[in-house]
Amino acid sequence: MQTTLAAIAVITVGYIFAYLIFDRLRDRYGYVGGAEYVIIGFLLGPQVTGLLNAGQVQDLTPIVSLALGWLGMLLGTYFRLPTVALIEGDQLRIAFAEAVATFGLSGAALVAVFRWLTGASWADAAVQAVTLAAIATLSSPVAVDAVVDRIRSRSRIPPVLQLAARIDALVAVVAFGLLLAVLHQGEVAPGVRPPTATEWAVINLAVGVASGVLFHLFLGPRGHLEQGRLFVALAGAIVVASGASYYLNLSPIYTNLVLGFILVNSGSAHRDVTRLLLSTERPVYLALLLFAGAAWSPGSLDLLFIAPLFVAVRLGARFLGGRIAGLYVAPPELRTPGLGRGLLALGGLGVAIALNYAQVYPELHPRLILSATLLSVLLFEIVASREAAAFVSGLAEGSARPPEPGDSLPPGAVPETR
Amino acid sequence: MIRRLVVLVLLVGGAVLLEPLRVPTEGVIAPRSLFLFGILLLTADTFGAVAHDLGLPRLVGYLLSGLALGPSVMGIVPPGVLQDLSMMKQLAVGMIALLAGAELRMGDLITRRRTIMWVLVLQTVLVTIAILGITLLARGTIPFLVSLDALPLLSVALLFATILSVNSPMATLALLTETRAEGPVAKTTLGIVLVADVLVILLFSVAFSVARQGLGHGQAGGEQALIGLLREVLGSVLAGVFVGAVISLYLRFVKRELVVFAVVAVFATAAAAQALHFEVLLSLLVAGFLVENVAPVRAEPLVETLHVAAVPVFVIFFAMAGAELRVQEFADLLPVVLLVVAARAVALYLAGGVGARVSGAEPAVVRHLWTGLVSQAGVALGFATIVAQRLPVVGAGLETLTVGVIAVNQTLGPILFRWGLSRAGEIRER
Repeated sequence: MQTTLAAIAVITVGYIFAYLIFDRLRDRYGYVGGAEYVIIGFLLGPQVTGLLNAGQVQDLTPIVSLALGWLGMLLGTYFRLPTVALIEGDQLRIAFAEAVATFGLSGAALVAVFRWLTGASWADAAVQAVTLAAIATLSSPVAVDAVVDRIRSRSRIPPVLQLAARIDALVAVVAFGLLLAVLHQGEVAPGVRPPTATEWAVINLAVGVASGVLFHLFLGPRGHLEQGRLFVALAGAIVVASGASYYLNLSPIYTNLVLGFILVNSGSAHRDVTRLLLSTERPVYLALLLFAGAAWSPGSLDLLFIAPLFVAVRLGARFLGGRIAGLYVAPPELRTPGLGRGLLALGGLGVAIALNYAQVYPELHPRLILSATLLSVLLFEIVASREAAAFVSGLAEGSARPPEPGDSLPPGAVPETR
Repeated sequence: MIRRLVVLVLLVGGAVLLEPLRVPTEGVIAPRSLFLFGILLLTADTFGAVAHDLGLPRLVGYLLSGLALGPSVMGIVPPGVLQDLSMMKQLAVGMIALLAGAELRMGDLITRRRTIMWVLVLQTVLVTIAILGITLLARGTIPFLVSLDALPLLSVALLFATILSVNSPMATLALLTETRAEGPVAKTTLGIVLVADVLVILLFSVAFSVARQGLGHGQAGGEQALIGLLREVLGSVLAGVFVGAVISLYLRFVKRELVVFAVVAVFATAAAAQALHFEVLLSLLVAGFLVENVAPVRAEPLVETLHVAAVPVFVIFFAMAGAELRVQEFADLLPVVLLVVAARAVALYLAGGVGARVSGAEPAVVRHLWTGLVSQAGVALGFATIVAQRLPVVGAGLETLTVGVIAVNQTLGPILFRWGLSRAGEIRER
């Protein structure tokens, strides 16, 4: 009894301290993350108080898989074709160049780190490096939107920034999904020919497409449900799609990205679906942070140096990737070498990918990947909002001009959902 | 609706296609459980809509969907999956308890205290008499009672009667949320089932202790058992006060991310309850009540959040409850089950009518209150499980009979209550 009471006391005091610390950061830097939830999860988990033991943390898998799929689906809804079609080609080029450059630079650096600093085989190094490179490439669309909405710059760059955040997330999730398909883990039932890497990639896509089509039919032509029932239907669809992916050792985030994409481009329920997903994004993110905190343990201390190294690699790749896209790919009127500065926020998808990695590769340093991700989330989210605000404010001063139709970013239908 | 059912069939068919591609390793939560949980959610939502279209409560649809997919009928959701997902049910119960406590207004309780007390007393007395009478009369057809002598028989019958005097806060709250009912019948019913929920734990413990003594299992004295029980109830109330204080402080100083906070509060309370041996349902009920009625904070944001989360929570709870029903186990006892259900319903009709009339309640309450008292669900099932585990001779048989009665009450109760609310003109559903 005394142990339990002590555990409760530790959690309460820990939470209050974490809250006070991060509240100050909130006031001073505009911090919007949820690091206190990582801490409370850690305090609740088996490493500290044990109020949630390892088995109970595992029991939370359905909630975690739901959360992974939820974030994937939200990302899919950002790409509604009628609005994507309105985006200028230059903006798309910049966004894709920034995402691919960041992914490529961080991937190359991380392969080198894992191959030569930790002595991993090429295959293992590639798996870990691609996962962390995907996480490094991510930038949070919600955080970027919040800054752009707050500052209301008249420059043409903020829509590029918003688009880049979405394309970053798309590239990251697709790269990670392909990684799990190409280097697939697990064996098939006896007597069945194991699918090739390409076939796994197609199966992964097919699961998403089939789920999307079936759920579109499930919602029906009118597609209008009250919020509670829409939540149940969405949760059911996401859990089914996530469950199928989890079952096959594929990525539920990628599957639900496809599901969300189909859903938002078919039927009339896209507004309701997007609104619901956006309104629940924050609790889902915090739930993931809580779980990540509970599931976190330092793992091998020898490899823990990778975590700060990853932060440095991400920072470097982010700025370099932004510079390549903003300076060499952008046309003169959109030239902005500091693009990476506005894309530092990592968001929930990073934690989602790290947790998904731990489900599929439990033997390949999942704790290290989670540690690096959490450290990255904590550090970047402290500075991301302020840096993005400074970047956007600088644009407003430097390149002000009257706003034109099509300036604000259509994907995600952000204006109509707020 | 047919389209939705076709989609569900296609989803299950898709799962069969994917089966050969499965990985052989199974985690603590089997990967298949997750997929089937999704199917259960979608089916429950569909059946809920069908029930609604038929003028029945949605939760009856949720229950039936669980029953249809569960081990009793199609077996698509096997017992292992339900075991894997027990955490979800625990979360659902905790959230409902917190909401139920917060829905209980001190003012309503004070205004309706005479009716609540009268009906509670009459419900306990009349249900006990009715069930005792039926059990004694039908003992020849109940296998596990045939060989008992008079004293053990009486003690087991008393225990059975006590379990059947339990109502269902879950079903009541689910139906009130679904129908948005407001009025004297809704308020009085909620007050009675929630107060009864606290009292019945005490009554059950006394009856359980008596039954153990009567069956010769009472190595611990009755007083000792009662003290243990009082300690548990008191501990639960104290834990509820503590949790309520924490929630109030959170609402006062933080007031953000309420969904996440509510989920954490429920899980933390459940974990602490397991370690400290108190009743999580009672604790969260007390916590919700204190936050709403005593704490100097505005509880509306939390209540609104819990209301938003209520629909999925009810779907999960009732679909899983339906899946856990083992129909075939009590099929042989069906005549006795129906007899007991009928006797209990008559007793509740009398208790509700007479209690409300004596206490001077509104005519609608006199006529329709009883309909809200018929439902039974989680608490009664919990008692049945305790009986099965701790009474070696008659426990399993008594549990089967009890579960049979609960299954019928769980299905019929919400239908009756909806009908009662409708007749009383209290349904505000769009």
